[in-house]
Formats: sequence, structure tokens, C-alpha cells
Amino acid sequence: MPGPISATTPDWHDLAWGAVLALTGLAVAGYAALHYEFGTLRRMGPGFFPVVLGLGLAGLGLLIAIPARNRPGQVRPFAWAQAVGVIGSLLVFGLLLDRIGLMASTVLCVAISSAVAPRGGFLWRAVLTVAVTALVWLLFVAGLNLSIPVWPWSR
Amino acid sequence: MTTLDGLAQGLEVALQPSVLIYSLLGAVLGTLVGVLPGIGAMAAITLLLPITYYISSQAALVMLAAVYYGAQYGGAVASILLRLPGTPQAAVTTLDGYPMAQQGRAGVALFTAMISSFAGSMLGIVMLVVLAGWLGRLATSFGAAEYTAMMVMGLVAASTIGEGRPAKSLAMVVLGLILGCVGTDVNSGAQRFTFGQVQLMDGINLVALAMGLFGLAEVIGNIRKAERDGPPPRVSLRQLVPARDDVRRLFAPITRGTLLGGFFGALPGTGSTISSFLSYAMERRVARRPERFGKGAIEGIAGPEAANNSASITAFVPTLTLGIPGDPIMALMLGALVIHGIQPGPMMLEANPGMFWGLVVSFGIGNLFLLVLNLPLIGIWVAMLRIPFRWLYPAIIVFVCLGVYSVRGSTFDIVMVAGIGAIGYALSVAAFSPALLLLGFVLGPLIETNLRRAMLISRGDPMIFLERPVACGFVIATLALLALPLVGMIRARRAARA
Repeated sequence: MPGPISATTPDWHDLAWGAVLALTGLAVAGYAALHYEFGTLRRMGPGFFPVVLGLGLAGLGLLIAIPARNRPGQVRPFAWAQAVGVIGSLLVFGLLLDRIGLMASTVLCVAISSAVAPRGGFLWRAVLTVAVTALVWLLFVAGLNLSIPVWPWSR
Repeated sequence: MTTLDGLAQGLEVALQPSVLIYSLLGAVLGTLVGVLPGIGAMAAITLLLPITYYISSQAALVMLAAVYYGAQYGGAVASILLRLPGTPQAAVTTLDGYPMAQQGRAGVALFTAMISSFAGSMLGIVMLVVLAGWLGRLATSFGAAEYTAMMVMGLVAASTIGEGRPAKSLAMVVLGLILGCVGTDVNSGAQRFTFGQVQLMDGINLVALAMGLFGLAEVIGNIRKAERDGPPPRVSLRQLVPARDDVRRLFAPITRGTLLGGFFGALPGTGSTISSFLSYAMERRVARRPERFGKGAIEGIAGPEAANNSASITAFVPTLTLGIPGDPIMALMLGALVIHGIQPGPMMLEANPGMFWGLVVSFGIGNLFLLVLNLPLIGIWVAMLRIPFRWLYPAIIVFVCLGVYSVRGSTFDIVMVAGIGAIGYALSVAAFSPALLLLGFVLGPLIETNLRRAMLISRGDPMIFLERPVACGFVIATLALLALPLVGMIRARRAARA
């Protein structure tokens, strides 16, 4: 939901992202120019497309950033806690799955991701964790027989 | 083969019990994700994509398509009852649907949405058959230059016609094109942007990218938003029956919406969301008393709902006949087809008639399922709206992890989804369109291959794009589309000065 327009701030979102995209474009073009053959128009090398695209992205990044300097921006809320919880639960699942197995990583993943819900209380989180873990076992282990380490000792 | 032969063959394919079951399953799942705000058709199709590895290609495509148009039905339910659009296409339906619900006419609004969706889909199927045959024949005369110019036009159209600042949209397309370069270059075998990672040699995984950009970003954005204030109103079957006056008002908007949606759906780059917005604008313009709009005008539901369903059917035209997806969902469909070893394009009608016609017939059957299921089951869908999002999203996250993992048994992909999800959420907060990034990503390799081929044919002379009339037409259209926002900017400057 866009917030109220404030007349004093620059459009920070566009300013920052415009700069990031411009730098990304330059980095892509530079890296491709150094590492891959550019070729000719008739016989394009593997570097041609990335160099042209990188320069294009750099130009577009500037087009986004420059007008944003003195344009009032919208205040857009960023759900920090929710973003950290969701991304963190995926990282935990991805990094630990091979080590502690499906059941334990599912428990951790649900516990971490439900911790950032805007409603307090411990009981519903515990019930949800058990329910999702049971569902995962039913669907993916009993049902689909996915080849995946299920328990910490079943590697 | 004539159209009738084709339809007969399609009927044979679509009536196989397994295909029927997956069509029904897709329709129900689609309605479900459409009803529940917070999971769009995009996220649902991405979640299902890995599962389709285990079923036949026909059943897979039929199911994914049914999820897509099923979500269009479901999206209206939350729009009307809670003023929370279940899908972006249904955002317009909140404008008049919610006021109708507040006046105690929720049932009539829901009936209007469903019957308009059904009519729009059915007429959309007719348009699909006519346009696909015609475009398929035209496309056989396309060379590399035409393909390149057409795809570039599609990308530019998607960035300049849609919402948001054109520079931001174009930047997302270009970023997507760059991400499409990652992996082994087909022409030279060079490893591009893999940084020695074996997992990146085949390029970035489409499922991982789509799940990060849509599944995760949508979930993060909705956790706080979706805790709603009150339960939805109850709707009984008897309330669905419209008055005679309501019925009389439906025909013209449905017809106009269907034609408009069918046309814009078939163009690459414009999709069902734009069609529903345009249809609303058109209905208000032709209305005798436009001041009724926004206060519960039944035409404001009928037109857009017919338009977005018709568009979501004809969106398959460029995807199947040219191999060019018009919107990100079609890009995923194209990905699904390729995974199943089917190359969409002008040859598909001849090489894979069973697939093409089976899909067409299944659209009809699926929409029939949706109509006969959804009217009596409306109470169940309304009850679904009572499930708080906090019960759903942790399960969605686990399914995302397992869905990505199951594609090739790699935990590297799960970590990659996490990274893409973080970037995707930050981009969507800053009003950048992740959908355009995905469109660029899918079209990138196709554009590069065709561009290289075109330049090889012309011996390095870029004039090939202007000498060939069809390609030249696409180039002119692209330039016009790029000039469009400039004209708007100059006008706004003048208006500000005056």
C-alpha cells in the first residue's frame, strides 16, 4: 500500500535502485567485454549480447535515478521482520536438509516462518508445525516417495 | 486438417479419463488460489510445475491451463466479498463488486462474475481456433528477422502499455534478458556468468526464478496485509438468482468485454490484467449514466470478467503458434511445454495436433466444470476466505522448498530461491515489475539466437530489419510504443507550465 506523498524527500526507492541497476549493468558489460569474445555484427561472439544489454541496463538505471533526485517519493513500508523470517526459513531448509533430514528441517522451517506472523501465541504455531510436518510426510514420503533423506540418521 | 477434424481429435484426447481428472483438479486448485488472496495463479502454476514431471505432457498442460483460467473465476470472489483481489486481473472487479456486496447483492455480483467469465471463455475459445489457424499460416513465412523484431516489440509493448514508469519496466526486461544469458552459450559453448559453478551451466532454473520472484515475494508482502478485519458475508444459493433487469444488462458488456479481451490477449506483451482495466474504462465510457460506476454497476463486473477470461484463452495463440509467450504465465506454460519435449511454434499444429486440439477442447470442458462446480459450491469458497493467511503461508514455504528441490534434487536451488526471493521482494516494494523480468528471462535466449541468425543471413547488415516488410512493421510499432510515454511526458510538462 503506497503511503502518503511527502514533498520534501527525494524518491529514495528509484534513486537507490536506479543506481544499483546502472552499476549492475556496467559490471555485466565490463565483465563480458573482458572475458568473452565480442565478435562482429555478422558473427556475434558470446560477449555481444551481454555487453549491449549491460550498457542498456546502465542507461536505463540512470534514466530511473536522475529524475528521482528531486521528485517527491512515496513512503512504502518494507516488511523487514517478515522478509527476514521467510528468507531465513528457506535458507535453513536449504542448508540443513542434507544434514538433518526432511522432518527436522520442515519443523525448523515452519517454526521460523510462523514466528514472524503478526499474531502472538505459542499454541497455534506448535499445532501448525505438527500439522505441516505430518502433511509433508504423508504427501512426499508416503505418497510420492520422493528420494530425500527423511531422518537425520537416514543419510 | 479441417477445424472439425481437429476438434474431433481434440475431444478424443480431452475425454481420456486421466486428462479429465487433471482438468478438474486444475480447475478446483485454480479457483482455490484465486479465492485466497496472497497466492496468485503465477505462484500456483510454479508450485505445480515440478509435479508435472511425473504425469503425461497432455495432462500436465491441461492442468496448468485450468489453474490459470480457474484462478480468474476465483479471483472475483475475494474481490466482491472483501475488496481484496485474489488475482491482479480481479482488481477491477472490486470497484463495483464490493459496493454491490455492501448493498446486500453479493450473490448477484458473484453470479454475474461467473456467468461473464464463462461466456468470455467460451467465445475466447472460438477466437483462439480462428486466430491460431490464421496466425499459424502467417508464421510459417516468418524468418529470423521477423521473430527477433516481433519478440522485441512484445517486450516493449509489455513495458510501456502496463502500469508503472516505462523506464523501470524496461530495466526489468533488460535485467531478465541478462539473467537469460547465464549458462552455456549455444553458439560457441562458452560458459557465461557461471563463475565456475556447475549448477549454473544449464542456466538459472526457471522454476527457481519464478518461485523466488512470485511465490516468495507474494508471501512476504501478504503476511501483514492479509490479516483481515472481518469475516466475509454469508451467501446462499437463492441470493445468486439475478433479477430480469440485471440479466438484460449483461449481454452488451459481455460481448464487448469478450471481443476486447480476445484481441488484447492474442497480442504478445499485453495480458488479461490490461484487458480487464480497458474493458472497465470502455463500459464507463459507453454507459448512459457513468456516475453509477463505482457504486455497484453490474456492467462494471460483467465486462472486465468476460474480458480477462477471454484474454487468458487467446493468450495461448502467440504462445502455441509462434512460440512467443505474451505474458509471464504463458512464459511458464512455454517452459512447461519445452520441459515435456514439445516445441511450440508454427509447426506445432502439424507436428502435435493432439496436443493443440486437446488443449482447446479441454478449455471448454474445464470452463464447464468451473461453472457447474462453482455456482453450487460458492458457500465452500466463501468459507475458504475465513482461513487466516498465517495458517497457510508456512505450508506454502515448505512446498516451495520441496517443489524446487524435487526438480533436480539440489539444495543449491533452494538457497538460490531464497536469494531471488529477497531481491524480488525488494524490487516489488520499489514498484518494479518482477513479471517483466521473467518475460525477459524466457524470451532472452530466443531473441539472441534469432538475432544472431538474422545478422548472419544478412552478412552483418542491420538493414534486414527494415527491408523485410513484416519485420519493418514490427520495428515501426516498437518505435511508436517507445515514443508513447515520451508524448505523455511532454504533454504533462506543457500542462504543468500552462
